[in-house]
Amino acid sequence: KMQTSWSASNIWQEFAQDYVNRVEEMSGGRLKIDLLPAGAVVAAFQVMDAVNDGILDAAHSVSAYWYGKNKAASLFGTGPVFGASSTAMLGWFYEGGGAELYRELTQDIMGLDVIGFLGFPMFAQPFGWFKGEVNSVADIEGFKYRTVGLAADLFQSMGMSVAQLPGGEIVPAMERGVIDAFEFNNPSSDKDFGAQDVAKNYYLSSYHQAAEQFEFLFNRFSFEDLDPDLQAILKYGVEASATANTSKAMRRYSADLQWLQNEAGVTVRRTPKEILDAQINAWSELLPGLEEDDFFKRCVASQREWAEQVAFYELMNAPDYALAYEHFFPGKLKL
Amino acid sequence: MTDPQVALMMLGLFIVFVFLGFPIAFTLMAMGIGFGYYAYFDARRMWRDFDRLDEAAGTWDQWSTWFEGFFNNRIFDLFVNQTFTVMSNEVLTAVPLFLFMGYIVERANIVDRLFSTLNIASKNVPGSLGVAALITCALFATATGIVGAVVTLMGLLALPAMLKARYKPSFASGIICAGGTLGILIPPSIMLIVYAAASNVSIVRLYAGALLPGLTLVGLYLVYVVGRAILQPSSAPRPSADEVPDVPLGKLLVMILTSFLPLAFLILSVLGSILFGLATPTEAASIGALGGMLLAFLYRAMTWQRLRESVYLTVRTTAMVCWLFVGSYTFSAVFSYLGGEHVISEFVQGMNLTPIQFLIMAQFIIFLLGWPLEWSEIIIIFVPIFLPLLAYFEIDPLFFGILVALNLQTSFLTPPMAMSAYYLKGIAPPEVRLTQIFAGVMPFLFCVIVSMVLMYVFPEIVFYLPELFYGG
Amino acid sequence: MIGFIRFADNLSAWFGKAFAWLIILMSVGTGYEVFVRYVLNSPTAWALDVSFIMYGTLFMMGGAYTLSRGGHVRGDFLYRLWKPRTQAKVDLVLYLIFFFPGVTALILAGWKYAARSWQYGEVSVNSPAGVPIYQFKTVIVAAGILLFIQGIAQVMRCIIAIRTNKWIEAEEDVFETEDLLMEQASRAEKDSHP
Ligand code: NA
Ligand code: NA
Repeated sequence: KMQTSWSASNIWQEFAQDYVNRVEEMSGGRLKIDLLPAGAVVAAFQVMDAVNDGILDAAHSVSAYWYGKNKAASLFGTGPVFGASSTAMLGWFYEGGGAELYRELTQDIMGLDVIGFLGFPMFAQPFGWFKGEVNSVADIEGFKYRTVGLAADLFQSMGMSVAQLPGGEIVPAMERGVIDAFEFNNPSSDKDFGAQDVAKNYYLSSYHQAAEQFEFLFNRFSFEDLDPDLQAILKYGVEASATANTSKAMRRYSADLQWLQNEAGVTVRRTPKEILDAQINAWSELLPGLEEDDFFKRCVASQREWAEQVAFYELMNAPDYALAYEHFFPGKLKL
Repeated sequence: MTDPQVALMMLGLFIVFVFLGFPIAFTLMAMGIGFGYYAYFDARRMWRDFDRLDEAAGTWDQWSTWFEGFFNNRIFDLFVNQTFTVMSNEVLTAVPLFLFMGYIVERANIVDRLFSTLNIASKNVPGSLGVAALITCALFATATGIVGAVVTLMGLLALPAMLKARYKPSFASGIICAGGTLGILIPPSIMLIVYAAASNVSIVRLYAGALLPGLTLVGLYLVYVVGRAILQPSSAPRPSADEVPDVPLGKLLVMILTSFLPLAFLILSVLGSILFGLATPTEAASIGALGGMLLAFLYRAMTWQRLRESVYLTVRTTAMVCWLFVGSYTFSAVFSYLGGEHVISEFVQGMNLTPIQFLIMAQFIIFLLGWPLEWSEIIIIFVPIFLPLLAYFEIDPLFFGILVALNLQTSFLTPPMAMSAYYLKGIAPPEVRLTQIFAGVMPFLFCVIVSMVLMYVFPEIVFYLPELFYGG
Repeated sequence: MIGFIRFADNLSAWFGKAFAWLIILMSVGTGYEVFVRYVLNSPTAWALDVSFIMYGTLFMMGGAYTLSRGGHVRGDFLYRLWKPRTQAKVDLVLYLIFFFPGVTALILAGWKYAARSWQYGEVSVNSPAGVPIYQFKTVIVAAGILLFIQGIAQVMRCIIAIRTNKWIEAEEDVFETEDLLMEQASRAEKDSHP
């Protein structure tokens, strides 16, 4: 049994299903995974406890959802942005020592019986949904805002009052007045839970969660009891689903962004530079306090080193895609 | 037996066990744990350590390890996990606060002032005493939400007054029973919070949605009371001049100002701050509780004793409702782990019902369940079985919830568990017989059904306010 | 046995009532949040966490108190027609097979759950304020222990009721208005028809 942290109608439930289908097909039906939505067995934020206890064999989630147990959890997806893309940070997990650090945190430091992998490298997440226009840091001060993981600490240090909620509870919370602005993740998921019904200003581009990935959790005993070839299928299925999810996300996210703009009457803008600058400053102010923890410090150092090298290549090498886009679709971009 | 069949058996056995009369919270818990033990039974994993001790056969170590393995079932962890989920449920935090507000207001010596004021204010209306009693019930029930308290307090106050005015006992008792039950429907109602927690429908939308239907039902009740007083004056004779004191307009205004307005203001500010998004229901409830304490203080009704009573009753009623959730969360997690939800929805889909047929069937079942059971059990345990089906029939869970809330008005009024009637019988003069009370309640049950039909024909009554406040 | 029943009743009531006062703190605390948000434009980061911690503690610690006063709702439309002896027989069996397994799980599995939380100093994930919740998870164990003790008392009640066909009621201190009024009414009626 695998439970997600998403409600049944969220596109991410489909992404999880993509993984399940691949695993079943690759194993010739020897592995059958029952995929359940958030709340079917346990609540969205409880999946780490549930997988550790063996209540669930597996979960499809993000690591920021258990950062109450250890803030370093958030480094595996919702960490400081050093300039590397989401794909580059997935590379850190598999090629830059991230996987071993993850294992050390969950198994050695926290004593949990879980095995985890990171999948789909998500596109940078929008700053989110606001009832009115926001142009400066002063505009967002005192807002009650929803985000998760270290992004919560980030915005708190920028003067917002932050609440963390699972995706399915955002719109009800907005209506109840628990929050008055929020981000979740991407145009499709945001649309699926009805963000456009409660706010009309959508701000793209942000440094709060620019490089997140899905977290695949397995109960250690459920995993180790399987034959080695099935273990391999579960493990490499994560890699396979990353490509499948990325392709699907490109088609669906972009189409839903058009829909939000053209059909739902949502105003889509890019986040003002002043707020983006403040975000980067807030990251660098936030880190020293968090780095008092030894593991956190080592983990950030490893990411920083990776980003310094990899993002240099990424950025130096990348052509200005916007220039080409502007050439062929003149006047469409409003950067 | 397949897992889904086991799930159905679990549901069936539960219904049987409910009738044994054991506290339902623990019955649910037991069914969840019992069937969960089966669902999570995995000998290899549970006795993992035992197998390792094979060579130490016959030793105490081996036996105690075997015994440990017996309890090494994941269901116990699931139970704890679900308990914690109930403990950290943000919607339910409003429950103790609204209960506390209710218990405080109930003790604020407010109901007699309210009744006598409304009685004088409505004296020129046909069936004036009945109208005054009904409105007092509705208002008081809205503020407290505690059915038993409203029915008994009003039964002691308004019933003798109506009997003295030669009202038909059945008519008089019907008014009080039906009026006293309104508190579970008209926001801020605990029942709607509980429905919100069970269904994930936003509570503020539910509140907005329930407002007009609640007023519609009050309106229907009033039409019936006034209509009957006109058509059959003998059942509700006009009070003679000496029975209702002639109060000059100025003094009447003062009476309204001191009795009606403060309570109305309290209700409106609680409700308004929720609907306009100024405060969460939990925050509004805390304001309501503080306001209730202030009100009681101003009416000189705030004693140490009453405060203590309210506090202790709050913890008891909260524990009752929330432990029911602890049981049902565990029950339903196991139920869906076994695939029970899936089977039920396949079965219902296989019946080839139209949405309206499904809706009538669901409401009829809930109506029937309302005979033996009370609203808390029905909403927390049985309504969630229908909820996953709503999407298939394209029925808005908000709309369904309002219909359920209307429907459950009847659960207090239908025997064998007609709590309203029993409360009233408990305090009424002995010559008022239970059969008379039930006879008097019948027309009000009919009003409830009419109101449900109205909602179905004119769904705007439900959707107008939620859409106005929060958009489609 | 009666001594133990009284002891358990008092113990449950003491804890239930002590934690009941959280409702006042909760009203004032949540009211404070509204005040600072609107009047001072600086909402707290911890109000949400604190309110559910108080709510959860309140109802969990009140569970045994409610049990001792017969406050947990029953589907009793048949049950109430039976004589106390029959009620007690059914209750006795169901306490043993329905009640104790779950309550024991609250204590043992709850201990495991809470201990893990203590070990990594878990804070609430709902806000970055870092409100600790390991103590809150420990409430599960405490509530389980209270229920366990009260459950033993309930079993003794059943045994006595099977012998005597009469229930031993807990000493009541507060009444629902309706119960109080109905009590008064039936007493008044009895007085008028001696
Ligand atoms: Na996000
Ligand atoms: Na009934």
